[in-house]
Amino acid sequence: MTETNSMTAGLRKRLEESEVLLAETGCYDGITTLECRDMDPLKFETIHMKLRAGCVSAREIARRISASPGVREVGEMVAAIYTPEGDAIAISNGIMVHVHTMSRFIKWMIKNGYEHDPGINPGDIFANNDAFIGTVQVPDVMDVVPIFHEDELVGWAGAVCHELEAGGITPGGDVALAQERFGEGLFICAEKIGLNDKIRRDYVIRCERNLRMPIYWILDEQAKVAACFSMRDRVLELIEDVGVDFYKKISKEFIEEGRRTQLARVRQLTVPGTYRSNTFYGHVTKGKPGFQPLGDPDWLYSIPLKMDIKLDGKIVVDFEGAQPWGYHSMNCTPAGMDGGMFVTLTQHMNFEGLVNDGAWLATQLKLPRGTWTNPDSEFCATATSWALLLPAYGAFQRMLSRGFLARGFLEEVFVGQVNSPMIEMGGISQYGKPFGIAHFECAAAGSGALAIKDGLDTAYVGWNPESDMGNIEIWELDMPMVYLGRSILPNSGGAGKYRGGNAFMSTWVINKSPEVRIVTSEHSSRVFDNAGMCGGYPAPTCQKHRVVRNSNINQRAEQRKPLAHSTGLDQKDLEQFYQGNQQIIEGPHITAPMKEGDIFTHSYNGGGGYGDPLERDPVLILDDIIQGHSSQIHGERVHGIRFKGSMDDETLEIDFLQTQKTRKRLRSERLQGAVPVMKWFEAEKIKVKQGDFAPEVLKMYRAAMDLSEEFGREFRAFWQLENGFAYPEKEQKDINNE
Amino acid sequence: MNNQQMEEYKLLVEGQLPWPQTKNLMSSYKDRDRFFKILKIYQDKVKWDEKILLPIGEHLFIVQKGNQRLVKCTCGHEFGDYRKNWKFQSVLLVRNKVEDLESIYPHSDVCDPSWMEIREFICPGCGTLLEIEACSPGYPITFDFCPDLEGFYSEWLNHPL
Repeated sequence: MTETNSMTAGLRKRLEESEVLLAETGCYDGITTLECRDMDPLKFETIHMKLRAGCVSAREIARRISASPGVREVGEMVAAIYTPEGDAIAISNGIMVHVHTMSRFIKWMIKNGYEHDPGINPGDIFANNDAFIGTVQVPDVMDVVPIFHEDELVGWAGAVCHELEAGGITPGGDVALAQERFGEGLFICAEKIGLNDKIRRDYVIRCERNLRMPIYWILDEQAKVAACFSMRDRVLELIEDVGVDFYKKISKEFIEEGRRTQLARVRQLTVPGTYRSNTFYGHVTKGKPGFQPLGDPDWLYSIPLKMDIKLDGKIVVDFEGAQPWGYHSMNCTPAGMDGGMFVTLTQHMNFEGLVNDGAWLATQLKLPRGTWTNPDSEFCATATSWALLLPAYGAFQRMLSRGFLARGFLEEVFVGQVNSPMIEMGGISQYGKPFGIAHFECAAAGSGALAIKDGLDTAYVGWNPESDMGNIEIWELDMPMVYLGRSILPNSGGAGKYRGGNAFMSTWVINKSPEVRIVTSEHSSRVFDNAGMCGGYPAPTCQKHRVVRNSNINQRAEQRKPLAHSTGLDQKDLEQFYQGNQQIIEGPHITAPMKEGDIFTHSYNGGGGYGDPLERDPVLILDDIIQGHSSQIHGERVHGIRFKGSMDDETLEIDFLQTQKTRKRLRSERLQGAVPVMKWFEAEKIKVKQGDFAPEVLKMYRAAMDLSEEFGREFRAFWQLENGFAYPEKEQKDINNE
Repeated sequence: MNNQQMEEYKLLVEGQLPWPQTKNLMSSYKDRDRFFKILKIYQDKVKWDEKILLPIGEHLFIVQKGNQRLVKCTCGHEFGDYRKNWKFQSVLLVRNKVEDLESIYPHSDVCDPSWMEIREFICPGCGTLLEIEACSPGYPITFDFCPDLEGFYSEWLNHPL
């Protein structure tokens, strides 16, 4: 049935006008002067703060309604207020990635004629988790409600929660085994899920029947809708105070000021020019059960980035040369790429003042069609897009940081975020019921180093600026696994003058369950998907899982024998303490279900280092060793430290004189062992011409050259290869089917 | 110029500024002339006379030498015109064997050297490790940063270059 609604008449036309005005004037909605701000700057700030406070308190209300530990415990949620055209005016804290993805969702509905069918009316509730409409991945489910003042649409309130279970081919939210859209789970595609301020019963029934753990999703819906109503009330209260015309005017000025602030901040903190970076991601699933043979089981992606900072302060990031989208779950839509950019900017440049869609308007992303950043098939899966997004925006952070360094703002230089290996699980809970959950303790990785200090240990992820691993006891309530320990992973930050933040690992025993299917994702085990800066090393690759099936832990516990609480420094503690079937699993943990008494470990990632490790203060190294953040052998090999005494009798200390001599010798050995780059180049050129690489590497180059003329041209020019040089396909024949 | 602030910045450059003051710097409004203050600190620190135009790394600067603008290390080694990638004038250690990688990553899992290698770009003058690339074998060397030096000075700093 087609509904018509005079209250939203002309909405699509208004959106188009707004876009034209931006293109013509360069200013949001054609706002060339900030009249409200100029007239009364304090009132301007106060009103924005009121709106922002409305978003923050709405998010807190929602967190108290949700049943999900992801939302309650680690705050996987955000709330925002939008203009009628769908541009963010004010946002809460939390997963700010989604502020702009929600904007895309609202605009998509407007552009697709929702004002006529299904109609946009007071009391309506719309939901979406389709990344090609506007989100990052299936578990990021967003709800928006229109805000009407009398008979006029004056804006939208929106909220997103990351769902812990999405009903996909594998349990949890990040559905790692999906190779197409059709395995990712329950899709809600810009759907009107509620009328008259009430979520429809038939929608709830659909959720109940298509999810492993519907209580999370359904109560999160209630939480988001409550948050939206709260924000709607705040907007209407504000309109009562200031008048509707003034509200409409000032809310748009907030966005234009956000745009100007972003440009000014770039001019203040960075240096114009061309920045380049690249990162890589390697995926390994060959021989794992459940893999569908649509694409390669093992593959390697290069992720090149070029950033131009223009003289007007505009940031243009170009992904030319990126790999093609594939039959895996790590593709990303432009909405997700926007989200990655937005959440990074809110942390690095827009951490004060007006944070809203204005910041996004001051940037440009170039996402080549057909690549994983902008797939030309909407059938492709995006359930674990963060696997590629996080390395990409870590590289973006390093490029920005080169600008901060050049400008003298050393306190802002940050080596960046790292990937977040996720655990998803399902099966039979400790209460004897079916369950499914994503474990969100991953929201606390090691951060990259700074130019003036070490990175944060177990305390940062790029995708949620309020990083938090959550309490063990909360997670244990929701999954049939008991923690044996959470432990710092020594040496897991990249080495440097300032080391990257260390990661942690968790060790569990399966408890009171005959069947737990654990599936993990976002593991780059074959290549570093992070990097250091200015001589700092990347953090180690994603660590392997260590597992003991059919362990004798219960017998040991009954006998009051000591238990291993981690794999230990040499990764051998599980073998030494427990009998059973010992397994080491590289890459995603995709294997047979586990059961009571099985032991499972999972490691998170550390951050990259900054500066030459031989310049690290020896006192910091000794402190790291004493605190368990580093090992003595690491100090000796990587930092050239010479020690006296021993940790065993607590007499360990630095031999400063010998350390100085050793470091001098190591510098000298570097020079003796190194070759001039031009000499290396001549030898390497021959290998490149012959294509003397692993099949996955060769395929990566061929794919980039096929998809991007520019990449091919630059690659050939760099290696002085003849025009038209290419790697023939016949050499690739056996990657899939060996 | 505020001497106390300059002392604070010197400590910042040395990594010695206490955390409460560092945090304050991070959270406060940024001073408009930070660039020239930091430039002076660097210029006082190095033992050569060429004028520093722009820091581009922990040890690397773009300097004015006669009518040339060169990349120069704190030790004095020169890498040539800043518009060309300084890495080509450095010396290189490549870690593409498991044992070479493991020596940097004791107790940790490392990359597969057939998929990725570590390239260490070293200053030929002082042996300092200036930059590291972790990339697949055969990946072109990355030119990390080519600044728009003229535009920066004339339009952003309003200062002659």
